[in-house]
Amino acid sequence: MNDSWNKNGISKGRVVAFGVVAIGLFFVYLSHLFSLQIVDGYLYTVRSEQVKRRSTVIPAPRGEIFDRHHDIPIATNTNSFAVEVNPAMIPRGQHAEVFARTARLLGMSEDEIHRRVPSSMYQVYQQVEIRSAVPFETVVRLAEHPDRYVGVSWVGKPVRSYPEGAAMAHILGHVGDITPEELQVMFNLGYNARSVIGKSGIEQQYDLLLQGREGRAVRTVDARGRRVGDGNIQLVPPELGHNLVLTVDRRIQQLATDALGPRIGSVVVLRPNTGEILALVSYPSFDPNLLYGETAGAAFSQLRSDSRAPFLNRAIQGSYSPASTFKILLTAAAIEEQLISPDDTMVVGPVYRLGNRVVNEWRPSGFGRINIMQGLAMSSNVFFATVGHDLLGTERLLSYTLGFGFGTASGIDLPGERPGLVPSPEWKRRVFNSPWVGGDTVNVSIGQGFLSVTPLQLANMVAMIVNDGRLYRPHVLKEVRDAETDSVIKRVEPEVIHTFPLRPQTFEIVRRAMRGVIRGGTAEPVITTPAVEVAGKTGTAEVSSTTRDWHSWFAAYGPYQTDNPDDQVVVVVMVDAMNDWEWWAPKAANLIFHGIFTDSSFEETVADLRRRWRLWYM
Amino acid sequence: MRSRSIFAFDVYLSVATIGLLLIGILFVYSSGFNSTGQMITREYVRQIIWASTGLLLLVTVAFVEYSVVKPWVGYLYALGVLLIILTLLFGRVVNGARAWIGIGILGIQPSEFMKIATILAFAVFLEQAGGRIQRIPFLLLGSMLFLVPFGLILLQPDFGTAAVFFPVFLVMCFFAGAKIRHLAFIAGTAMLVLIFTMLPAWEIYIYGGRIPAFEVFSNVRLKIFVLMGIGAVCLVSVAGLMLLKRRYFYWIAYGTVIVGLALAVSLGTRAAIRDYQLMRLVVFMNPYVDPRGAGWNVIQSITAVGSGGISGKGFLQGTQSHFHFLPEQSTDFIFAIIAEEWGFLGALAVFSLFLLILVRGLYIATIAKDRFAGYVATGVVALFMTHFLVNVGMAIGLMPIAGIPLLFVSYGGSSMWTGLIGIGLLMSIYHHRYRY
Repeated sequence: MNDSWNKNGISKGRVVAFGVVAIGLFFVYLSHLFSLQIVDGYLYTVRSEQVKRRSTVIPAPRGEIFDRHHDIPIATNTNSFAVEVNPAMIPRGQHAEVFARTARLLGMSEDEIHRRVPSSMYQVYQQVEIRSAVPFETVVRLAEHPDRYVGVSWVGKPVRSYPEGAAMAHILGHVGDITPEELQVMFNLGYNARSVIGKSGIEQQYDLLLQGREGRAVRTVDARGRRVGDGNIQLVPPELGHNLVLTVDRRIQQLATDALGPRIGSVVVLRPNTGEILALVSYPSFDPNLLYGETAGAAFSQLRSDSRAPFLNRAIQGSYSPASTFKILLTAAAIEEQLISPDDTMVVGPVYRLGNRVVNEWRPSGFGRINIMQGLAMSSNVFFATVGHDLLGTERLLSYTLGFGFGTASGIDLPGERPGLVPSPEWKRRVFNSPWVGGDTVNVSIGQGFLSVTPLQLANMVAMIVNDGRLYRPHVLKEVRDAETDSVIKRVEPEVIHTFPLRPQTFEIVRRAMRGVIRGGTAEPVITTPAVEVAGKTGTAEVSSTTRDWHSWFAAYGPYQTDNPDDQVVVVVMVDAMNDWEWWAPKAANLIFHGIFTDSSFEETVADLRRRWRLWYM
Repeated sequence: MRSRSIFAFDVYLSVATIGLLLIGILFVYSSGFNSTGQMITREYVRQIIWASTGLLLLVTVAFVEYSVVKPWVGYLYALGVLLIILTLLFGRVVNGARAWIGIGILGIQPSEFMKIATILAFAVFLEQAGGRIQRIPFLLLGSMLFLVPFGLILLQPDFGTAAVFFPVFLVMCFFAGAKIRHLAFIAGTAMLVLIFTMLPAWEIYIYGGRIPAFEVFSNVRLKIFVLMGIGAVCLVSVAGLMLLKRRYFYWIAYGTVIVGLALAVSLGTRAAIRDYQLMRLVVFMNPYVDPRGAGWNVIQSITAVGSGGISGKGFLQGTQSHFHFLPEQSTDFIFAIIAEEWGFLGALAVFSLFLLILVRGLYIATIAKDRFAGYVATGVVALFMTHFLVNVGMAIGLMPIAGIPLLFVSYGGSSMWTGLIGIGLLMSIYHHRYRY
């Protein structure tokens, strides 16, 4: 019996060795288990909680935007539909069939669905979006035949929509998916990778107000993503974005848009005693509805390749020579400095000569003996070259230019406003390394040369003339309202941002001179509206000395005199030299003034003026 | 003595086996529930049926004097091989492997029973080989008994099941007195093949950079070049051994042959290995390389185990399992449910029961009446050990995912019967340990 140890041929040493190794391995396993379950157990407890709790984002609807009437939104969210497939809900073996049917319904290729839902996903219980921006009728057909489209469902997906289309595009801007670069900058403000953000205009300027905060539905799911357990959905409701009410009047905006017509240029309409922007038009424009979703790619590439730069908001981002409109400022300066009185006259010949700088009078014979009122009314280049260079001098001319707000951005609540350029001797030395000469002063005097201004700045200048030197911050936002209760959260109060304290009678004289431009002056033939007394100034800026290409300006306000300053509006129209010359700026302004003060649309305005035989130019 | 021994069942093995079977049935039952408390499968009923029929099988095997089987071992082995070939031709594909054969819902996995047949056949071989197992030709000859089922099962393909044969072979040779350095050569080569196969993947997924030296594994021409270099070193040292009779030349040749052989074989395995198998090796190194794909099982399993804590979440209270985050939870990952619901203490219980079987099995091997019985006992112990270490190791992240069951516990008839026949053999050997 004892020899069974030897007989079975198994060495005791090897048994012991094997046993030691095996038991050693057991202990290695046990110690690993110990570290997993006891040392690091809490880590995995947390992780197991996380894995089975899945949160779904409930998007916060973006706030709507209204015009000043606060009735119909001009930027809203329409319910578009996205069609989704839940592969695990389609019975085994029927995927191809269901996909083929769905593809036919949605008018898309079968391959596209197969690409989005590969066969490796057929057991995954998860919604996969196969098509967005699906029309309502298609969804209805989907809903009518649930048996034919097993596992196919749809969700509402709010999409930004702009009922006014291109007319409001430069004010409202457009939205788009946040880019990684934008996210890096804006992450701390609460944005995330899913955010849809304003890319331009009001949408960009007030994005934080419009955004809201997305909500969350937290629920317990199993590994296939199915919701399990009931009653344990935790809801963090989304915070709605605020609604915005703008100062813009969509009727005036449409009127101004139509009045400018298909001409490259811009229009600014504002209330001088509050700074409220009533209309801000820039042509060419773009349709912001096309810039989000499936059409975005094509729309962007088309707009970017357009040499007329449709994204440029010319009213605040385009700067041009102000030309003769600048004579308003010289009039104010000369009167204020008492260099000339309204009754003083001077003989205006056909040409003003300073060294080799020659300023020609636009009427070849000159004007003979005229006073400053007639000089402005007739837009005499020689008269104002003399005033600017001989009477005011460089220093005073430039300080009045700055005093009326040129050369700095006015601070309108739209992104990308440009400051224009007011040249100076230092500036010229720095940039061109050449000294300031008399010719430069002459150029500024007649609104040419290096001087460039934005249409908005010109409108501000007119507003300061109307307001006796006070400039209210031009603004587009009127009120911020709560989306649910519609209560006003914030109202934008008029704010004087700049004052240029000239004597009141100076402004009075300038206003009279501007009225003179319409009554018996250069603009008389075109400012035909009987609805309002307009005061203003035309401008024709040379772009090149060789071709007949001129910018056409008209800067005006109306009514000329009033007891109720709330009635007054400033209108600045700028038509680019790229268009055929038709002296359109004052003509457009005439239509705009008539439309505003008869409270009628563009068509009604045209019809009304035609009936009165006052629309000879259309 | 014979009549007395009917009641002299080995208590330790009985307790351990029945304990594991009960735990298995409990957790197969647990894994059948989903999170809302609905029972979605009735696997536990089948498990009970298999356990009870398996126990009958165990008792039968235990009472049969093992030497009665000995003349039939060759036929058993041939039958096993035949069944595997039939399975390859006509079998059912389950989880990607053609490993099932049967009629209707009744089916078996011949590859499971083949483990027992191979152990028996190899024990016969070892008994007849005697001390000659120390010689390389005999070692190679014996290895053929393992290579046939190994190769056939690889064809199914079921890498996990095939791999089990490897340690069983080594352990049986070890106890039969084979030379350590021969076994180390085989084990070392196998390890190196595995390492060489996964190093390029390691370079891509884990290291994340490029290591110029690793060109050797992916560039075939370079590999052949390096192989020739290694061959040259080997030849020089063999020549040195013959001429100078210095011992260290032997070890240099030994080392170079291992490296060279592994490099050459890895040329083949890299071509043969499937992407999902490679990814299993990669996620074994770092599951977060592919957390929702190949790494999912490992991450979910480790999370389940780790969140169990000391005493677990309570029977039927596991979240990872009932929310069905754990795939294959009644078979390959049943240990994860046990560890989640019963915690470290439950895992310790499973460990103890297996350790008991291991120690008892080794003891039975030492007291076995003859060589055949001793070798069978060590083979069975090696089989149990391998299954335990691989399955539990996989659940706690110490082993790559191989998809082999935890014997006695995992859901499944073939593996359970295989395990219980193994216990039956141990008991039979214990039972018939005396000579008359």
